[in-house]
Amino acid sequence: MANINLKNREIECKIVYYGPGRCGKTTNLEYIFKTFRKQAIGEMVSANTEGDRTLFFDFLPLGIGKIKGYDVRLQLYTVPGQVKYSATRKMVLREVDGVAFVADSIKVRRKANVESLKDLHQNLKEYGLSITKIPLVIQYNKRDLAKQGIPLLPVQQMERDLNRQLKVPSFSASAINGDGVGATLKACIKLTLQSMRKQLGW
Amino acid sequence: MEDVKKKIKSFLQEAELYQSQGLLNEAKERYVRAGQLVKKNENLIKNKNLLKVISKKIHVLKEKIDRIESGPISVEMPKQIQDIIKHKFSFSKNDDAGALEGAIALAKFGQFEAALNEFDELIKTASISVEAAKNIIRCHKALDSLDEAANRYKEWLSENFFTPAQLNKLRVFLQGILDSQGVDIKLPKKDIITSPSLETLMDTEVSETEAVETVIPEKIVEQEINDEDIIDISSVGITFTEGPKKGETIEYDVSFQAGSIINLLISGDDKELVENLRTGVVLNEVQFYSPIAMFNGKAVVSSKSEIESGPKQGYYSLDIKVTSIL
Repeated sequence: MANINLKNREIECKIVYYGPGRCGKTTNLEYIFKTFRKQAIGEMVSANTEGDRTLFFDFLPLGIGKIKGYDVRLQLYTVPGQVKYSATRKMVLREVDGVAFVADSIKVRRKANVESLKDLHQNLKEYGLSITKIPLVIQYNKRDLAKQGIPLLPVQQMERDLNRQLKVPSFSASAINGDGVGATLKACIKLTLQSMRKQLGW
Repeated sequence: MEDVKKKIKSFLQEAELYQSQGLLNEAKERYVRAGQLVKKNENLIKNKNLLKVISKKIHVLKEKIDRIESGPISVEMPKQIQDIIKHKFSFSKNDDAGALEGAIALAKFGQFEAALNEFDELIKTASISVEAAKNIIRCHKALDSLDEAANRYKEWLSENFFTPAQLNKLRVFLQGILDSQGVDIKLPKKDIITSPSLETLMDTEVSETEAVETVIPEKIVEQEINDEDIIDISSVGITFTEGPKKGETIEYDVSFQAGSIINLLISGDDKELVENLRTGVVLNEVQFYSPIAMFNGKAVVSSKSEIESGPKQGYYSLDIKVTSIL
Protein backbone atom coordinates (compact mmCIF):
# COMPACT_ATOMS: atom_id res chain seq x y z
CA MET A 1 0.00 0.00 0.00
CA ALA A 2 1.32 3.42 -0.98
CA ASN A 3 3.00 5.48 1.66
CA ILE A 4 1.58 8.96 2.06
CA ASN A 5 3.43 11.48 4.16
CA LEU A 6 0.97 14.29 4.75
CA LYS A 7 3.50 16.43 6.57
CA ASN A 8 6.09 16.41 3.80
CA ARG A 9 3.40 16.08 1.13
CA GLU A 10 5.05 13.03 -0.36
CA ILE A 11 3.56 9.93 -1.91
CA GLU A 12 5.63 6.85 -2.42
CA CYS A 13 4.31 3.95 -4.47
CA LYS A 14 5.74 0.60 -5.40
CA ILE A 15 5.59 -0.86 -8.88
CA VAL A 16 6.88 -4.38 -9.45
CA TYR A 17 8.01 -5.81 -12.79
CA TYR A 18 6.99 -9.47 -12.76
CA GLY A 19 7.44 -12.24 -15.31
CA PRO A 20 9.27 -15.46 -16.14
CA GLY A 21 13.06 -15.79 -16.06
CA ARG A 22 14.93 -14.03 -18.87
CA CYS A 23 11.83 -12.18 -20.11
CA GLY A 24 13.51 -8.77 -19.85
CA LYS A 25 12.38 -7.26 -16.54
CA THR A 26 15.84 -6.00 -15.69
CA THR A 27 16.28 -4.72 -19.26
CA ASN A 28 13.12 -2.65 -18.81
CA LEU A 29 14.50 -1.05 -15.66
CA GLU A 30 17.92 -0.48 -17.23
CA TYR A 31 16.32 1.33 -20.13
CA ILE A 32 14.18 3.43 -17.78
CA PHE A 33 17.24 4.34 -15.73
CA LYS A 34 19.22 5.24 -18.85
CA THR A 35 16.43 7.27 -20.42
CA PHE A 36 14.89 8.97 -17.41
CA ARG A 37 18.09 9.78 -15.54
CA LYS A 38 16.77 13.17 -14.53
CA GLN A 39 13.85 11.53 -12.76
CA ALA A 40 16.03 9.01 -10.95
CA ILE A 41 16.40 9.94 -7.29
CA GLY A 42 19.07 7.34 -6.70
CA GLU A 43 21.13 4.75 -8.50
CA MET A 44 19.64 1.61 -9.97
CA VAL A 45 20.69 -1.26 -7.76
CA SER A 46 20.87 -4.84 -8.98
CA ALA A 47 21.63 -8.05 -7.17
CA ASN A 48 22.67 -10.49 -9.86
CA THR A 49 24.12 -13.94 -9.87
CA GLU A 50 25.56 -16.46 -12.35
CA GLY A 51 24.67 -15.60 -15.94
CA ASP A 52 23.31 -12.18 -15.03
CA ARG A 53 20.20 -13.63 -13.49
CA THR A 54 18.48 -11.50 -10.88
CA LEU A 55 19.07 -12.98 -7.45
CA PHE A 56 16.89 -10.79 -5.22
CA PHE A 57 15.58 -7.79 -7.09
CA ASP A 58 16.54 -4.71 -9.06
CA PHE A 59 15.57 -1.43 -7.50
CA LEU A 60 15.17 1.97 -9.09
CA PRO A 61 13.76 5.00 -7.27
CA LEU A 62 12.18 7.65 -9.48
CA GLY A 63 10.58 11.01 -8.81
CA ILE A 64 7.84 11.93 -11.23
CA GLY A 65 7.15 15.41 -9.96
CA LYS A 66 4.22 16.95 -8.19
CA ILE A 67 0.61 15.86 -8.51
CA LYS A 68 -1.99 17.89 -6.61
CA GLY A 69 0.80 19.40 -4.55
CA TYR A 70 2.27 16.03 -3.57
CA ASP A 71 5.74 14.89 -4.55
CA VAL A 72 5.18 11.51 -6.18
CA ARG A 73 8.00 9.02 -5.81
CA LEU A 74 8.09 5.65 -7.45
CA GLN A 75 9.97 2.61 -6.33
CA LEU A 76 10.44 0.28 -9.26
CA TYR A 77 11.38 -3.30 -8.50
CA THR A 78 11.93 -6.44 -10.51
CA VAL A 79 11.57 -9.93 -9.10
CA PRO A 80 13.87 -12.88 -9.81
CA GLY A 81 12.22 -14.91 -12.55
CA GLN A 82 13.71 -18.30 -11.85
CA VAL A 83 11.18 -20.72 -10.41
CA LYS A 84 13.34 -21.52 -7.36
CA TYR A 85 13.19 -17.93 -6.10
CA SER A 86 9.51 -18.16 -5.29
CA ALA A 87 9.92 -16.94 -1.70
CA THR A 88 11.92 -13.89 -2.83
CA ARG A 89 9.28 -13.00 -5.41
CA LYS A 90 6.66 -13.07 -2.72
CA MET A 91 8.72 -10.85 -0.44
CA VAL A 92 9.31 -8.28 -3.18
CA LEU A 93 5.61 -8.22 -3.96
CA ARG A 94 4.66 -7.18 -0.45
CA GLU A 95 2.83 -3.83 -0.28
CA VAL A 96 2.86 -3.54 -4.08
CA ASP A 97 0.75 -0.79 -5.65
CA GLY A 98 1.04 -1.67 -9.33
CA VAL A 99 2.40 -4.49 -11.46
CA ALA A 100 3.91 -4.58 -14.94
CA PHE A 101 3.85 -8.16 -16.15
CA VAL A 102 6.56 -8.75 -18.74
CA ALA A 103 5.81 -11.70 -20.99
CA ASP A 104 8.40 -13.31 -23.25
CA SER A 105 7.28 -13.40 -26.89
CA ILE A 106 9.55 -16.33 -27.77
CA LYS A 107 7.34 -19.25 -28.74
CA VAL A 108 9.02 -21.80 -26.47
CA ARG A 109 8.35 -19.56 -23.46
CA ARG A 110 4.56 -19.76 -23.78
CA LYS A 111 4.16 -22.11 -20.83
CA ALA A 112 6.62 -20.11 -18.70
CA ASN A 113 4.53 -16.95 -19.26
CA VAL A 114 1.33 -18.64 -18.17
CA GLU A 115 2.98 -20.19 -15.13
CA SER A 116 4.49 -16.89 -14.09
CA LEU A 117 1.12 -15.14 -14.35
CA LYS A 118 -0.39 -17.90 -12.20
CA ASP A 119 2.44 -17.43 -9.71
CA LEU A 120 1.69 -13.70 -9.60
CA HIS A 121 -2.00 -14.43 -9.03
CA GLN A 122 -1.18 -16.82 -6.17
CA ASN A 123 1.33 -14.52 -4.49
CA LEU A 124 -1.04 -11.55 -4.68
CA LYS A 125 -3.79 -13.70 -3.25
CA GLU A 126 -1.61 -14.58 -0.30
CA TYR A 127 -1.36 -10.85 0.47
CA GLY A 128 -5.13 -10.51 0.15
CA LEU A 129 -4.85 -8.82 -3.25
CA SER A 130 -6.64 -9.76 -6.43
CA ILE A 131 -4.97 -9.92 -9.82
CA THR A 132 -8.21 -8.62 -11.33
CA LYS A 133 -8.21 -5.55 -9.10
CA ILE A 134 -4.59 -4.53 -8.76
CA PRO A 135 -3.32 -1.95 -11.26
CA LEU A 136 -1.75 -4.21 -13.88
CA VAL A 137 -0.37 -3.86 -17.38
CA ILE A 138 1.09 -6.55 -19.62
CA GLN A 139 4.07 -6.14 -21.89
CA TYR A 140 4.80 -8.54 -24.76
CA ASN A 141 8.55 -8.19 -24.86
CA LYS A 142 11.24 -9.21 -27.38
CA ARG A 143 9.13 -8.50 -30.48
CA ASP A 144 12.38 -7.52 -32.25
CA LEU A 145 13.62 -11.11 -32.21
CA ALA A 146 11.42 -12.04 -35.16
CA LYS A 147 14.06 -10.34 -37.32
CA GLN A 148 16.66 -12.79 -36.03
CA GLY A 149 14.52 -15.73 -37.05
CA ILE A 150 13.44 -16.74 -33.57
CA PRO A 151 9.89 -18.12 -33.66
CA LEU A 152 7.64 -15.72 -31.73
CA LEU A 153 4.12 -16.04 -30.44
CA PRO A 154 1.66 -13.82 -32.29
CA VAL A 155 0.45 -10.97 -30.08
CA GLN A 156 -3.14 -12.18 -30.52
CA GLN A 157 -2.12 -15.57 -29.15
CA MET A 158 -0.44 -13.94 -26.15
CA GLU A 159 -3.53 -11.84 -25.57
CA ARG A 160 -5.62 -15.01 -25.53
CA ASP A 161 -3.19 -16.79 -23.22
CA LEU A 162 -2.62 -14.02 -20.72
CA ASN A 163 -5.15 -11.24 -21.10
CA ARG A 164 -8.40 -12.87 -22.15
CA GLN A 165 -9.92 -12.54 -18.70
CA LEU A 166 -7.86 -9.73 -17.23
CA LYS A 167 -8.44 -7.32 -20.12
CA VAL A 168 -5.73 -4.94 -18.90
CA PRO A 169 -3.72 -2.55 -21.09
CA SER A 170 -1.07 -4.43 -23.03
CA PHE A 171 1.94 -3.32 -25.03
CA SER A 172 4.24 -4.85 -27.61
CA ALA A 173 7.81 -4.06 -26.71
CA SER A 174 11.46 -4.55 -27.37
CA ALA A 175 13.00 -3.52 -24.08
CA ILE A 176 16.53 -3.87 -25.39
CA ASN A 177 15.80 -1.04 -27.88
CA GLY A 178 13.45 0.79 -25.55
CA ASP A 179 10.39 0.23 -27.71
CA GLY A 180 7.26 0.03 -25.59
CA VAL A 181 9.15 0.48 -22.31
CA GLY A 182 7.96 4.03 -21.68
CA ALA A 183 4.39 3.23 -22.72
CA THR A 184 4.27 0.25 -20.35
CA LEU A 185 5.59 2.26 -17.42
CA LYS A 186 3.37 5.23 -18.16
CA ALA A 187 0.23 3.09 -18.29
CA CYS A 188 1.20 1.32 -15.09
CA ILE A 189 1.82 4.61 -13.27
CA LYS A 190 -1.49 5.98 -14.53
CA LEU A 191 -3.46 2.97 -13.31
CA THR A 192 -1.58 2.92 -9.99
CA LEU A 193 -2.24 6.59 -9.29
CA GLN A 194 -5.90 6.25 -10.29
CA SER A 195 -6.25 3.32 -7.91
CA MET A 196 -4.57 5.27 -5.12
CA ARG A 197 -6.89 8.19 -5.63
CA LYS A 198 -9.85 5.85 -5.27
CA GLN A 199 -8.49 4.05 -2.24
CA LEU A 200 -7.17 7.03 -0.35
CA GLY A 201 -9.54 9.70 -1.58
CA TRP A 202 -6.48 11.64 -2.60
CA MET B 1 18.35 -36.01 -47.39
CA GLU B 2 18.09 -32.23 -47.95
CA ASP B 3 15.14 -32.09 -45.56
CA VAL B 4 17.14 -33.78 -42.81
CA LYS B 5 20.06 -31.42 -43.30
CA LYS B 6 17.71 -28.43 -43.23
CA LYS B 7 16.07 -29.67 -40.06
CA ILE B 8 19.42 -30.20 -38.34
CA LYS B 9 20.58 -26.75 -39.41
CA SER B 10 17.37 -25.20 -38.15
CA PHE B 11 17.70 -26.92 -34.74
CA LEU B 12 21.29 -25.74 -34.44
CA GLN B 13 20.38 -22.17 -35.36
CA GLU B 14 17.52 -22.11 -32.88
CA ALA B 15 19.81 -23.50 -30.19
CA GLU B 16 22.30 -20.70 -30.80
CA LEU B 17 19.57 -18.07 -30.65
CA TYR B 18 18.04 -19.44 -27.46
CA GLN B 19 21.46 -19.57 -25.90
CA SER B 20 22.02 -15.92 -26.81
CA GLN B 21 18.78 -15.15 -24.95
CA GLY B 22 19.94 -17.02 -21.86
CA LEU B 23 17.31 -19.72 -22.43
CA LEU B 24 19.71 -22.52 -21.67
CA ASN B 25 17.25 -25.37 -21.23
CA GLU B 26 15.56 -24.53 -24.51
CA ALA B 27 18.96 -24.32 -26.25
CA LYS B 28 20.02 -27.67 -24.81
CA GLU B 29 16.78 -29.28 -25.94
CA ARG B 30 17.37 -28.07 -29.52
CA TYR B 31 20.93 -29.43 -29.50
CA VAL B 32 19.66 -32.77 -28.20
CA ARG B 33 17.11 -32.95 -31.01
CA ALA B 34 19.76 -32.01 -33.57
CA GLY B 35 22.06 -34.69 -32.15
CA GLN B 36 19.34 -37.33 -32.33
CA LEU B 37 18.71 -36.47 -35.96
CA VAL B 38 22.43 -36.62 -36.82
CA LYS B 39 22.77 -40.00 -35.12
CA LYS B 40 19.76 -41.38 -36.95
CA ASN B 41 21.13 -40.24 -40.29
CA GLU B 42 24.85 -40.76 -39.76
CA ASN B 43 25.28 -42.30 -43.21
CA LEU B 44 23.93 -39.10 -44.81
CA ILE B 45 26.04 -36.61 -42.90
CA LYS B 46 29.43 -35.83 -44.37
CA ASN B 47 30.78 -33.97 -41.37
CA LYS B 48 31.72 -36.84 -39.05
CA ASN B 49 32.68 -34.42 -36.30
CA LEU B 50 29.22 -32.87 -36.08
CA LEU B 51 27.93 -35.25 -33.43
CA LYS B 52 31.03 -34.64 -31.32
CA VAL B 53 30.60 -30.87 -31.61
CA ILE B 54 26.92 -31.10 -30.65
CA SER B 55 27.71 -33.35 -27.67
CA LYS B 56 30.30 -30.87 -26.48
CA LYS B 57 27.79 -28.01 -26.71
CA ILE B 58 25.24 -30.03 -24.76
CA HIS B 59 27.85 -30.79 -22.12
CA VAL B 60 28.81 -27.12 -21.75
CA LEU B 61 25.15 -26.12 -21.47
CA LYS B 62 24.46 -28.84 -18.91
CA GLU B 63 27.32 -27.54 -16.79
CA LYS B 64 26.03 -23.98 -17.02
CA ILE B 65 22.48 -25.06 -16.11
CA ASP B 66 23.75 -27.06 -13.15
CA ARG B 67 25.80 -24.11 -11.95
CA ILE B 68 22.77 -21.84 -12.10
CA GLU B 69 20.36 -24.31 -10.57
CA SER B 70 22.61 -25.35 -7.76
CA GLY B 71 23.65 -21.76 -7.20
CA PRO B 72 23.02 -20.25 -3.83
CA ILE B 73 19.54 -19.08 -2.94
CA SER B 74 21.25 -16.19 -1.23
CA VAL B 75 24.73 -14.77 -0.91
CA GLU B 76 26.08 -12.00 1.27
CA MET B 77 25.27 -8.83 -0.65
CA PRO B 78 26.99 -5.42 -0.67
CA LYS B 79 25.94 -2.93 1.99
CA GLN B 80 24.01 -0.86 -0.54
CA ILE B 81 21.64 -3.77 -1.20
CA GLN B 82 21.44 -4.71 2.45
CA ASP B 83 20.42 -1.12 3.26
CA ILE B 84 17.63 -1.29 0.69
CA ILE B 85 16.41 -4.56 2.18
CA LYS B 86 16.55 -3.13 5.69
CA HIS B 87 14.70 0.06 4.86
CA LYS B 88 12.38 -0.91 2.03
CA PHE B 89 11.21 -4.26 3.34
CA SER B 90 10.13 -2.91 6.68
CA PHE B 91 6.55 -1.75 6.63
CA SER B 92 5.64 -1.03 10.25
CA LYS B 93 4.90 2.55 11.19
CA ASN B 94 6.21 1.93 14.70
CA ASP B 95 9.95 2.69 14.88
CA ASP B 96 10.97 -0.27 17.01
CA ALA B 97 8.78 -2.78 15.24
CA GLY B 98 9.94 -1.33 11.94
CA ALA B 99 13.59 -1.76 12.88
CA LEU B 100 12.90 -5.35 13.92
CA GLU B 101 11.06 -5.97 10.66
CA GLY B 102 14.00 -4.57 8.69
CA ALA B 103 16.42 -6.88 10.47
CA ILE B 104 14.12 -9.86 9.92
CA ALA B 105 13.95 -8.94 6.22
CA LEU B 106 17.76 -9.11 6.08
CA ALA B 107 17.62 -12.60 7.58
CA LYS B 108 14.86 -13.64 5.17
CA PHE B 109 17.07 -12.55 2.28
CA GLY B 110 19.86 -14.68 3.75
CA GLN B 111 21.94 -11.71 4.93
CA PHE B 112 22.57 -13.33 8.29
CA GLU B 113 25.74 -11.52 9.31
CA ALA B 114 24.15 -8.13 8.65
CA ALA B 115 20.97 -9.28 10.39
CA LEU B 116 22.97 -10.36 13.44
CA ASN B 117 24.52 -6.89 13.67
CA GLU B 118 21.04 -5.35 13.61
CA PHE B 119 19.59 -7.75 16.17
CA ASP B 120 22.59 -7.10 18.43
CA GLU B 121 21.57 -3.45 18.52
CA LEU B 122 17.87 -4.21 18.84
CA ILE B 123 18.14 -6.37 21.95
CA LYS B 124 18.92 -3.09 23.75
CA THR B 125 15.35 -1.92 23.03
CA ALA B 126 13.15 -3.29 25.79
CA SER B 127 9.95 -3.71 23.78
CA ILE B 128 11.58 -5.99 21.21
CA SER B 129 14.56 -7.39 23.09
CA VAL B 130 13.28 -10.97 23.42
CA GLU B 131 12.18 -11.12 19.80
CA ALA B 132 15.58 -9.76 18.73
CA ALA B 133 17.36 -12.35 20.88
CA LYS B 134 15.27 -15.16 19.40
CA ASN B 135 16.22 -13.95 15.96
CA ILE B 136 19.89 -13.95 16.94
CA ILE B 137 19.41 -17.62 17.79
CA ARG B 138 17.61 -18.24 14.49
CA CYS B 139 20.45 -16.59 12.56
CA HIS B 140 23.00 -18.79 14.31
CA LYS B 141 20.87 -21.81 13.45
CA ALA B 142 20.88 -20.75 9.80
CA LEU B 143 24.63 -20.13 9.92
CA ASP B 144 25.14 -23.53 11.52
CA SER B 145 26.78 -21.90 14.54
CA LEU B 146 24.53 -23.03 17.37
CA ASP B 147 27.47 -23.22 19.76
CA GLU B 148 27.79 -19.47 19.23
CA ALA B 149 24.08 -19.10 20.06
CA ALA B 150 24.66 -21.04 23.28
CA ASN B 151 27.56 -18.71 24.14
CA ARG B 152 25.35 -15.70 23.53
CA TYR B 153 22.72 -17.13 25.85
CA LYS B 154 25.36 -17.65 28.54
CA GLU B 155 26.47 -14.03 28.09
CA TRP B 156 22.90 -12.83 28.52
CA LEU B 157 22.62 -15.00 31.61
CA SER B 158 25.76 -13.59 33.22
CA GLU B 159 25.03 -10.00 32.26
CA ASN B 160 21.57 -10.00 33.81
CA PHE B 161 20.52 -8.24 30.65
CA PHE B 162 17.15 -9.97 30.48
CA THR B 163 14.68 -10.63 33.28
CA PRO B 164 14.68 -14.18 34.68
CA ALA B 165 11.39 -14.86 32.92
CA GLN B 166 12.74 -13.64 29.61
CA LEU B 167 15.90 -15.68 30.06
CA ASN B 168 13.86 -18.75 30.74
CA LYS B 169 11.86 -18.17 27.62
CA LEU B 170 15.05 -17.85 25.58
CA ARG B 171 16.55 -20.92 27.20
CA VAL B 172 13.51 -23.05 26.36
CA PHE B 173 13.54 -21.72 22.82
CA LEU B 174 17.23 -22.34 22.25
CA GLN B 175 17.31 -25.68 24.10
CA GLY B 176 14.51 -26.91 21.83
CA ILE B 177 16.56 -26.00 18.78
CA LEU B 178 19.76 -27.52 20.19
CA ASP B 179 17.95 -30.77 21.00
CA SER B 180 16.22 -30.98 17.64
CA GLN B 181 19.53 -30.41 15.86
CA GLY B 182 21.31 -33.02 17.97
CA VAL B 183 23.67 -30.48 19.57
CA ASP B 184 24.75 -31.81 22.96
CA ILE B 185 24.66 -28.61 25.00
CA LYS B 186 22.61 -28.26 28.15
CA LEU B 187 21.84 -24.63 28.88
CA PRO B 188 21.97 -23.38 32.47
CA LYS B 189 18.67 -22.24 33.97
CA LYS B 190 17.32 -19.23 35.81
CA ASP B 191 14.58 -20.34 38.19
CA ILE B 192 11.15 -18.76 37.94
CA ILE B 193 7.70 -19.70 39.14
CA THR B 194 4.76 -19.89 36.76
CA SER B 195 1.38 -21.49 36.91
CA PRO B 196 0.45 -23.91 34.16
CA SER B 197 -2.53 -22.80 32.12
CA LEU B 198 -3.60 -22.26 28.56
CA GLU B 199 -1.16 -19.35 28.69
CA THR B 200 1.62 -21.91 28.46
CA LEU B 201 0.66 -22.38 24.86
CA MET B 202 1.28 -18.79 24.08
CA ASP B 203 4.46 -16.84 24.02
CA THR B 204 4.64 -16.28 27.76
CA GLU B 205 7.03 -17.06 30.54
CA VAL B 206 7.00 -20.76 31.24
CA SER B 207 9.17 -23.35 32.86
CA GLU B 208 10.02 -26.30 30.68
CA THR B 209 9.12 -29.05 33.11
CA GLU B 210 5.79 -27.53 34.07
CA ALA B 211 4.80 -27.07 30.47
CA VAL B 212 5.77 -30.52 29.30
CA GLU B 213 3.53 -32.00 31.96
CA THR B 214 0.69 -29.68 31.04
CA VAL B 215 -1.11 -31.50 28.27
CA ILE B 216 -3.99 -29.31 27.30
CA PRO B 217 -7.36 -31.01 27.92
CA GLU B 218 -9.33 -31.60 24.75
CA LYS B 219 -12.44 -30.01 26.21
CA ILE B 220 -10.84 -26.59 26.09
CA VAL B 221 -12.76 -24.47 23.64
CA GLU B 222 -11.39 -23.68 20.25
CA GLN B 223 -9.56 -20.38 20.11
CA GLU B 224 -9.03 -18.14 17.15
CA ILE B 225 -5.40 -17.15 17.09
CA ASN B 226 -3.43 -14.12 16.08
CA ASP B 227 -0.06 -14.15 14.42
CA GLU B 228 1.75 -12.96 17.49
CA ASP B 229 0.04 -15.49 19.77
CA ILE B 230 1.69 -18.61 18.47
CA ILE B 231 4.73 -20.07 20.17
CA ASP B 232 7.60 -21.65 18.27
CA ILE B 233 6.56 -25.00 16.88
CA SER B 234 9.19 -27.65 16.27
CA SER B 235 7.08 -30.28 14.54
CA VAL B 236 3.55 -30.86 13.35
CA GLY B 237 1.46 -34.04 13.20
CA ILE B 238 -1.22 -34.01 10.53
CA THR B 239 -4.04 -36.55 10.76
CA PHE B 240 -5.42 -37.07 7.30
CA THR B 241 -9.18 -37.23 7.00
CA GLU B 242 -9.22 -38.05 3.30
CA GLY B 243 -7.01 -39.46 0.57
CA PRO B 244 -4.60 -42.40 0.65
CA LYS B 245 -3.43 -41.69 4.20
CA LYS B 246 -6.92 -41.35 5.67
CA GLY B 247 -6.84 -41.93 9.42
CA GLU B 248 -3.03 -41.83 9.59
CA THR B 249 -1.04 -39.18 11.43
CA ILE B 250 2.20 -38.13 9.83
CA GLU B 251 4.70 -35.94 11.64
CA TYR B 252 6.71 -33.29 9.85
CA ASP B 253 9.56 -31.15 11.16
CA VAL B 254 9.02 -27.41 10.93
CA SER B 255 11.59 -25.82 8.69
CA PHE B 256 10.54 -22.22 9.21
CA GLN B 257 7.89 -20.32 11.13
CA ALA B 258 6.60 -16.79 10.81
CA GLY B 259 3.89 -16.25 13.41
CA SER B 260 1.00 -18.53 12.56
CA ILE B 261 2.47 -19.56 9.22
CA ILE B 262 4.44 -22.78 9.50
CA ASN B 263 6.58 -24.09 6.69
CA LEU B 264 7.01 -27.84 6.27
CA LEU B 265 9.08 -29.84 3.82
CA ILE B 266 7.27 -32.83 2.39
CA SER B 267 8.87 -35.52 0.29
CA GLY B 268 7.55 -35.60 -3.26
CA ASP B 269 7.79 -39.42 -3.29
CA ASP B 270 4.21 -39.80 -2.14
CA LYS B 271 2.52 -38.12 -5.08
CA GLU B 272 -1.06 -38.75 -3.88
CA LEU B 273 -0.33 -37.30 -0.47
CA VAL B 274 1.23 -34.20 -1.98
CA GLU B 275 -1.71 -33.77 -4.34
CA ASN B 276 -4.14 -33.96 -1.42
CA LEU B 277 -2.38 -31.12 0.35
CA ARG B 278 -3.73 -28.53 -2.05
CA THR B 279 -3.73 -24.80 -1.33
CA GLY B 280 -6.91 -24.00 0.59
CA VAL B 281 -7.36 -27.48 2.07
CA VAL B 282 -8.42 -27.30 5.71
CA LEU B 283 -6.56 -29.61 8.06
CA ASN B 284 -8.97 -30.29 10.90
CA GLU B 285 -6.75 -32.48 13.02
CA VAL B 286 -3.30 -31.10 13.57
CA GLN B 287 -1.02 -31.67 16.55
CA PHE B 288 1.52 -28.95 17.18
CA TYR B 289 4.63 -29.85 19.12
CA SER B 290 6.89 -27.27 20.70
CA PRO B 291 9.79 -27.73 23.11
CA ILE B 292 7.44 -26.78 25.94
CA ALA B 293 4.06 -28.23 25.07
CA MET B 294 1.88 -29.96 22.54
CA PHE B 295 -1.59 -28.92 21.51
CA ASN B 296 -4.18 -29.68 18.90
CA GLY B 297 -5.65 -27.33 16.39
CA LYS B 298 -6.68 -26.62 12.85
CA ALA B 299 -4.73 -25.22 9.96
CA VAL B 300 -5.20 -24.42 6.33
CA VAL B 301 -2.74 -25.06 3.52
CA SER B 302 -1.80 -21.56 2.37
CA SER B 303 0.75 -22.40 -0.30
CA LYS B 304 2.62 -25.29 -1.83
CA SER B 305 5.55 -25.23 -4.20
CA GLU B 306 7.96 -27.83 -5.50
CA ILE B 307 11.63 -27.37 -4.69
CA GLU B 308 13.32 -27.63 -8.04
CA SER B 309 16.97 -27.53 -7.06
CA GLY B 310 19.39 -27.88 -4.21
CA PRO B 311 19.65 -30.61 -1.58
CA LYS B 312 15.88 -30.71 -1.08
CA GLN B 313 15.08 -31.04 -4.77
CA GLY B 314 11.92 -33.06 -5.28
CA TYR B 315 10.50 -32.04 -1.93
CA TYR B 316 7.53 -29.74 -1.58
CA SER B 317 7.58 -26.60 0.51
CA LEU B 318 4.22 -26.39 2.24
CA ASP B 319 2.98 -23.38 4.20
CA ILE B 320 0.17 -24.06 6.61
CA LYS B 321 -1.57 -21.31 8.54
CA VAL B 322 -2.69 -22.18 12.04
CA THR B 323 -6.31 -21.06 12.17
CA SER B 324 -7.33 -22.22 15.62
CA ILE B 325 -6.16 -24.18 18.62
CA LEU B 326 -8.25 -26.47 20.80
